[in-house]
Amino acid sequence: MNDVSWIAVGFVVAMTLVTIGLGIYATRMARSASDFFVAGRSVSVFWNASAISGEYLSAASFMGIAGLLMKNGYDALWYPVCYATGYLFLLLFIAGPLRRFGAYTIPDFAEGRFDSPTFRKIAVTFVLFIGFFYTMPQMKGAGVVLGAILGWPYWAGIVVVGAVITFNVALGGMKGITFVQAFQYWAKLFAIALPIFVIQATTGGYAERLEAERSRPSELPTIAESRTVSIKGAKSFPANVMVVPETGSTRITFPDGAKLARISPASPAGSTDPNAPLVMIGSAPGSSRGLGAASDVVIEAGATLVSTGRATRLEFAEPARAEFAAGSPAPNAPANVKWSEPFGPLTSKHGYPLLYTYSLIVALICGTAGLPHILVRFYTNPDGRAAKRTTLWVMAMLGAFYVFPPIWGTIGRGAMPWLYADNSTDSVVIRLPAILESKLLGEIASGITSAGAFAAFMSTFSGLLVSMSGALAHDIYGKILRPSASPESRMLAFKIAAVVIGAVSMALGLLVESFDIAMMVGWAFAIAAASYFPLLLLGSWWRGLTKQGAGAGMLIGGLLSLSAIIVSMLLDKKILDAQPSPLVRSLLEQPAIWGVPLAIGVMVLVSKLTPSGLPADVALKMLRLHAPEELGLSKNYIEH
Amino acid sequence: MTSDKHVSELSPELHSRLAHLVMRRQAGLSLRVASVFVVLLLGLPLLNRFAPAIAGAEVLGMSASWLFLGVLIYPITVLLSFYFVKQSDRIEAECTDWRAVLGEEAGEPLEPKGVDDVRPAFIEEDLGGEESR
Repeated sequence: MNDVSWIAVGFVVAMTLVTIGLGIYATRMARSASDFFVAGRSVSVFWNASAISGEYLSAASFMGIAGLLMKNGYDALWYPVCYATGYLFLLLFIAGPLRRFGAYTIPDFAEGRFDSPTFRKIAVTFVLFIGFFYTMPQMKGAGVVLGAILGWPYWAGIVVVGAVITFNVALGGMKGITFVQAFQYWAKLFAIALPIFVIQATTGGYAERLEAERSRPSELPTIAESRTVSIKGAKSFPANVMVVPETGSTRITFPDGAKLARISPASPAGSTDPNAPLVMIGSAPGSSRGLGAASDVVIEAGATLVSTGRATRLEFAEPARAEFAAGSPAPNAPANVKWSEPFGPLTSKHGYPLLYTYSLIVALICGTAGLPHILVRFYTNPDGRAAKRTTLWVMAMLGAFYVFPPIWGTIGRGAMPWLYADNSTDSVVIRLPAILESKLLGEIASGITSAGAFAAFMSTFSGLLVSMSGALAHDIYGKILRPSASPESRMLAFKIAAVVIGAVSMALGLLVESFDIAMMVGWAFAIAAASYFPLLLLGSWWRGLTKQGAGAGMLIGGLLSLSAIIVSMLLDKKILDAQPSPLVRSLLEQPAIWGVPLAIGVMVLVSKLTPSGLPADVALKMLRLHAPEELGLSKNYIEH
Repeated sequence: MTSDKHVSELSPELHSRLAHLVMRRQAGLSLRVASVFVVLLLGLPLLNRFAPAIAGAEVLGMSASWLFLGVLIYPITVLLSFYFVKQSDRIEAECTDWRAVLGEEAGEPLEPKGVDDVRPAFIEEDLGGEESR
């Protein structure tokens, strides 16, 4: 998109101004240090739940799920389901005890539960670790959306959005963003729900589309009118790959020519002659030649590529323009049956669909329960009972939201199949409104979703920034470096920390342009699932957990899961050249199914070996975690 | 007399006993609700795998499996949570008085030490002291 969508820009600017305005307004009410860190704990259950939901719905939820569902179909439903229902485990096992213990951050919990300042340091590093991994996809979302609606370069979107949010957090602290986050939940719900109702009037409804997929199992979505798509080059691997399907008649014209790094069969030759050409290519009828598997193929300007009925994988070396003739099936798209039924391309890619599905479920559910920026919010509840009520509301609010992204993905599959061609299904939420017949209505709808996407990465980035700055100011400065610091100097430390962390996040965001949003979010969840989740679960429910056990389990589980994901990513990007077995490959890509039990196992084992690490008053601590407030045992870690 | 004491003044043995009793009730409830949810959520992939005819049956234009995972699971989770919160509140209401929770075990006389007016200072000292550790 070269031209600027001014209406969309208007919506995005309005969203940003309201965010800043609410931040400034709320700052006037943020007076004490306790206000600054935890919103004074005066927030009602309904608003607190709105704020938690607003903070939680990130770029991955707003843009990523719809894109992933369009790309992979049924299997992608597990993402929103586990993002939302992870809160059930939080509710059942963690929310009440954590709030009751009076710990504001996980490091507070770590130190308070085990009487170990050393353990606080380990826990703080994980706040920063998970936080930075989670900020990277948010930053990428900002760069991509601003690129799509303004035509800005990737870096400009990141710098502008990053600076605005950092400024807002440094000025208002958490009190500032509680209102902003709550407002943003409702803005996001509106932005994901309203436009898709209007769009369904044009394209047909959700169930109707799903039924159409099911009734023609072997077909692919078809590009109805001729359409030109920009294909990415080798720098964006694997987004530069295009698989021409075996069914349908694909015709692609390259007006400027193209350079292919590789052309190869995408499926085993089977009974056909392995030397038969994969595709035909030529500039004029009658002059076309057959192309078999080859490297470094140059396609001349104006040449047209026609499929021969064999699935063919084209890997582009340089960016190119490709014009799809009307009636071409969408490349890269799974067939209807694979898309609409379980165990499709996402979970079956390494051949262990059931294992992959379960591991994904474990990662997302346990990861949700261990995200540091969400747990902080439970402290804004007045007591453990309100913390549980809040979680209940959060689940209702998230459920209401998560019904919609799959509708976007389903409608997008039928209405915009060319998004498959350049691997840009992630942008379906921003682009789909363009199919509306009224151009004005389309631009307004696209403006609404752009503003929603903006709200998504703004709110999540704010929450992470507060969490990480809080860890630096409250845990490292306030508890480790200068325990005697006055509330004023701790507040100043918070502001400085926010600016520094904001700057680092922007720098990291610039590095990740070629990585998938969903993949980066997966890192954060998997690390949280194998580090914080076992700590909180066992710490709340097993009195025998010692600091040595908790520390060892957290470090081993968290770091091994992280390593597995990084190795898997390097394999995907072909930076690492190895061929692990499909089982190993599945376990590397989705490590939670071994990472979480490993962390828990190490915690239990090491705790049994180090009984001297038990705090002397462990019974009182356990009581404080679980006894109702009326017993009078609760205490707060933050002075008023 | 033990029953005059604030709960923080009880012996470690009684703390341990009290924590055990309160936790057992809460954990029982949590595990009950969790097991329903786990059966539903982890059962679905098995149903998809081994009973595709049931999972794929058409309901309201979608496959039953899609309808469940795309829509119904959210209200089901909220209902489970609602049940949990209600029951959990009930347990807490019954546990607000440590004497009632401990029952007869609370009756054994200990040295009379605490009276009501020293309680706040005691709490400050004991629990607040951890702050600076």
